[in-house]
Amino acid sequence: MLRLRHLLLAAALPVALATAEPAAAQGTLRIGMTAADIPLTHGQPDQGFEGNRFTGIPLYDALTAWDLSRADRPSTLIPGLATEWSVDPNDRTRWVFRLRPNVRFHDGSPFTADAVVWNVRKVLDREAPHFDPRQVGVTATRMPTLRRAEAIDELTVALFTSEPDSLLPINLTNLFMASPAHWEALRRQQPTAEATWNAFAANPSGTGPFRLTRLVPRERAEMVRNDNYWGERARLERIVLLPIPEANARTAALLSNQVDWIEAPAPDAVPQLRARGMQIATNPQPHVWPWQPCFLEHSPLRDVRVRRAINLAIDREGLRTLLGGMMQPAVGTVPPGHPWWGNPSFQIRTDKAEARRLLAEAGYGPQRPLTLRVQISASGSGQMQPLPMNEFLQQDLRQVGVNVEFDVIEWNALFTNWRQGCGHPSARGAHAINVSFAAMDPFFAMVRFWDSKMAAPVSNNWGMFSDPRFDQLVAAARNAFEPAERDAALARLHAAGVDEALFIWIAHDVGPRAMSPRVRGHVQPQSWFVDLRLPFIQ
Amino acid sequence: MSSTAAAAELAVQAKQAALYRSEGYWAGVWKRLRRDPVTIVCALILLAMLVVIVFAPLFAPHDPYQGSMIRRLRPIGTENYPLGTDELGRDMLSRLIYGGRLSWFMGILPVALAFVIGTTLGVTAGFVGGKVNMLIMRVTDVFYAFPSVLLAVAISGALGAGILNAILALTLVFIPPIIRVAESVTTGVRNLDFVDAARASGASALTIVRVHVLGNVLGPIFIYATSLISVCMILASGLSFLGLGTRPPEPEWGLMLNTLRTAIYVQPWVAVLPGACIFVTSICFNLVSDGLRQAMDVKG
Amino acid sequence: MFFYLVRRVLYAIPIALAVGFVCFMLVQIAPGDPINAIVPPDAPQEVVEQVRRDYGLDQPLPVQFGLWLWKVVQGDLGRSLATGRPVWSDLSSAIANTLTLAAMASLIGFVLGCLLGGLAGTYRGSLIDRVAVTSAVAGVSVPHYWLGMVLVVIFSVQLNLLPAMGAGPGGSADWAWDWEHFQHLILPAATLSVIPMGIVTRTVRGIVAEIMNQEFVTALRGKGLTSRGVFLHVVKNASPNVIAVMGLQLGYLMGGSILVETVFSWPGTGLLLNSAIFQRDLPVLQGTILVLAMFFVALNLVVDLVQTALDPRIKRA
Repeated sequence: MLRLRHLLLAAALPVALATAEPAAAQGTLRIGMTAADIPLTHGQPDQGFEGNRFTGIPLYDALTAWDLSRADRPSTLIPGLATEWSVDPNDRTRWVFRLRPNVRFHDGSPFTADAVVWNVRKVLDREAPHFDPRQVGVTATRMPTLRRAEAIDELTVALFTSEPDSLLPINLTNLFMASPAHWEALRRQQPTAEATWNAFAANPSGTGPFRLTRLVPRERAEMVRNDNYWGERARLERIVLLPIPEANARTAALLSNQVDWIEAPAPDAVPQLRARGMQIATNPQPHVWPWQPCFLEHSPLRDVRVRRAINLAIDREGLRTLLGGMMQPAVGTVPPGHPWWGNPSFQIRTDKAEARRLLAEAGYGPQRPLTLRVQISASGSGQMQPLPMNEFLQQDLRQVGVNVEFDVIEWNALFTNWRQGCGHPSARGAHAINVSFAAMDPFFAMVRFWDSKMAAPVSNNWGMFSDPRFDQLVAAARNAFEPAERDAALARLHAAGVDEALFIWIAHDVGPRAMSPRVRGHVQPQSWFVDLRLPFIQ
Repeated sequence: MSSTAAAAELAVQAKQAALYRSEGYWAGVWKRLRRDPVTIVCALILLAMLVVIVFAPLFAPHDPYQGSMIRRLRPIGTENYPLGTDELGRDMLSRLIYGGRLSWFMGILPVALAFVIGTTLGVTAGFVGGKVNMLIMRVTDVFYAFPSVLLAVAISGALGAGILNAILALTLVFIPPIIRVAESVTTGVRNLDFVDAARASGASALTIVRVHVLGNVLGPIFIYATSLISVCMILASGLSFLGLGTRPPEPEWGLMLNTLRTAIYVQPWVAVLPGACIFVTSICFNLVSDGLRQAMDVKG
Repeated sequence: MFFYLVRRVLYAIPIALAVGFVCFMLVQIAPGDPINAIVPPDAPQEVVEQVRRDYGLDQPLPVQFGLWLWKVVQGDLGRSLATGRPVWSDLSSAIANTLTLAAMASLIGFVLGCLLGGLAGTYRGSLIDRVAVTSAVAGVSVPHYWLGMVLVVIFSVQLNLLPAMGAGPGGSADWAWDWEHFQHLILPAATLSVIPMGIVTRTVRGIVAEIMNQEFVTALRGKGLTSRGVFLHVVKNASPNVIAVMGLQLGYLMGGSILVETVFSWPGTGLLLNSAIFQRDLPVLQGTILVLAMFFVALNLVVDLVQTALDPRIKRA
């Protein structure tokens, strides 16, 4: 009898605690991802930023990190495994990072400067025994200037870049630290380095707030809380990741209680999800869904008046209604209030009269109608709902006398064309291309589009934009090593970009996710990522 | 499906059909057909569909490509939009009518192509026999070793998405079964008395094939081919459903079903309409094919 | 009899080789340089050259086929472009899952088909005959991916009775035949079973009706044989054909489950193929098709052998 009472008490206790004090709450969170497979777990995830979100940040740490604890402002860069960093004033291609002491990998080995060097070499040093060509693709493009690393002492490391680059600390959020000791231990049982990385992926060791306990490729990954985490520990006991690429299957899985959280529910299913008591979390993401203009001779968008007119003709609120509220109108690459916003004098809004005036000034009117040809895709990661959205724009622009023709091509082909430039035959004479992009890193947000050195096929300056003024602004930003100074330089770049209407800015994604009412504590940051230490199950 | 059995059965029919081939035979077929209301009704449904989709501009109340964001996903029975609107606010009725064009095209063309190619090869194999037969039939066996869906998915998956690739893949899928049936029926007919008689009278091989063999084997092969149309239609829209066939914004039933899937929670009845169209068409083709076979089966 | 068996088995070998050749050609007919279909676009140049040598892509086609075949025979189906994992590692578990699904669907289709077909054949022209014939035609005419969607909306979303996707709480890796896992199998298996149901119904109805019309059955009945005796007789005579049809159906379902697996996220070969097609992961596409086709070749052989054993009267050239 006594024992029974003990049992009952023991059973009742966690429940009481959970309701009283969320910090002690726990539970298992089952997440339905949009990816078709579990993103790679060896430290450099594939599957785009969804990979970083679910098998990067929870399992690993990088030297620098994003602050994902706030929903009310854009996520900022914070210390991760490095506590502080600075560029060498005498050699601006040399950075010194001071590492966090007393951090251990999941296998118990300590995190040191040697581990950082080892992790840089895994993707950049072809001679290293643990070099993994498969990890290069997803890593090198995200830190294009990083060249090598050198340990100074146990907790200090120097990183070298090919040219002065103040953006390096931001890039480094993508280099996750895997455990060298664990890899070496696995290497002894495996015939090749490649096989060792496969074994490491099945049984990884990082420093993150969760540890991987089970991996069934293409079906599920399970991770449990790392109780020895160096920072604030997770509230959840366990996370289960399920790849469900089908938007409908995700919705059905949430509605039939097979998962607690789904990424990107189809906008059309949102009312039904709300009606069934599900929570819908949204927040603007550093994401831009634009039309990127072509600046070559044949393109009417070469004329800044036309670019401004199109920007003014679009009814972004109407588009938001179409998407059931699942977007944020874009009036620049970053939203007003962002440190890089600057103060553009050209104010993007809906003003069809002004748009008509600008078009007339540029020589277009009922006698000489403007026809724009835009390359778009029917689907694709980050592309939101490309067909209905573009069709909406087409109808909108017809009201100011602009005809829009679409060249609908397959997503991967569109993505490839993006690097070929608008003068290439693949553009088929298009005046604009509709490829969405991530904008949390200044290189990806602005530099690769507006720097003349980045003209296709080097990078994504598809429109072949070339203006020495912008090249100087980019160089100034790259050479501004004080964070405040760098932000100010980027703000000048951004304001200039908006004034020249270098994009037709249309929408920011709001990263919608739907979750069961039992999920509490979730913070939806203004980021592609999320802090999985915060939510818990009630 | 179990085409060996079907082929054997058809061969028997062909022999009997050959014996009974006369005005009286066709009159009997027609008489039997008239007494088969199911076949008649299905044939009429198909005929009506054909008329509607061929003269789509006359029947479709709206432009199938013209949408409007303010009237998207309206339910069935909306004024002016009797079958509702799709996810882009396009009229469902018009899209279904125009969509039928491509769906029928992709259901019939591969079978028709396979009918021509398969009959040629099958009759050649059956009539010439020997090594030619051996060669054609062994190659057929290889393609027979693939389940049809798998073969279609494999070929169009390797070639990449597109209508032409899908048609090519489906044609390849249906050639082997038609060859088998054609070969088996031809072999059956070849040994019949009147062919021997024609041969004895000194007719050339080509004449024999044209006059005696083709006349007697085309019917059964044709009936077999009609039974493939329903399979082909389901497969073709399945390819579009997987993103391997038609591309948006082209209306096609399989693709419409795919793009409307996200709306299944908002307007389930509208979202399942394209599937219902495929279902009705395919069941009608199946029943008509069954009815024809029974009507032409003298045993029946 | 013995010679027939030996000949049949030997005959399967050239077929298997030719099937392998068709699968090999899949990568060749894909647009672009075959090397791009085998190595990831960001692979370093030395890896590209290494693979080019390994596969003999600089050599004539027959040599390439030989090299490829040699690798396949050793169990090396190549590497997935998307994940870098060996194709076989993903394929082996997917095949087991598809086999589970296809076997379940065949079982449902077989039982229902025999029941409906048997009744329909016995009572030809009755109401039950019409119901059976109609459902048989409906079964082979329905686009089953569409049926799957409708079932999910009804049973998962509206009634919340059955799960909509996946292979159970632990994934397919710890599949067990308990309710927890089994409930995940019901909707996809039911969806997939409509085709074999239709075909078995048709076949059984035809055979039963024919047997019932035969003179000796009438004679047996005249002699006062019980209906049980007639039933046994029918079973004995019908089973070789029904087993043949059913065996082939299992093979068709293995290959044809791609659409149903996509709708239900069932972690089998179909889902694997689907994502391979989307990512243009040709090694996975090729490996999956090859293994499924080989399975089908083997199944055909087994069906033939079993059929011959059951019914020695069947003689084939």
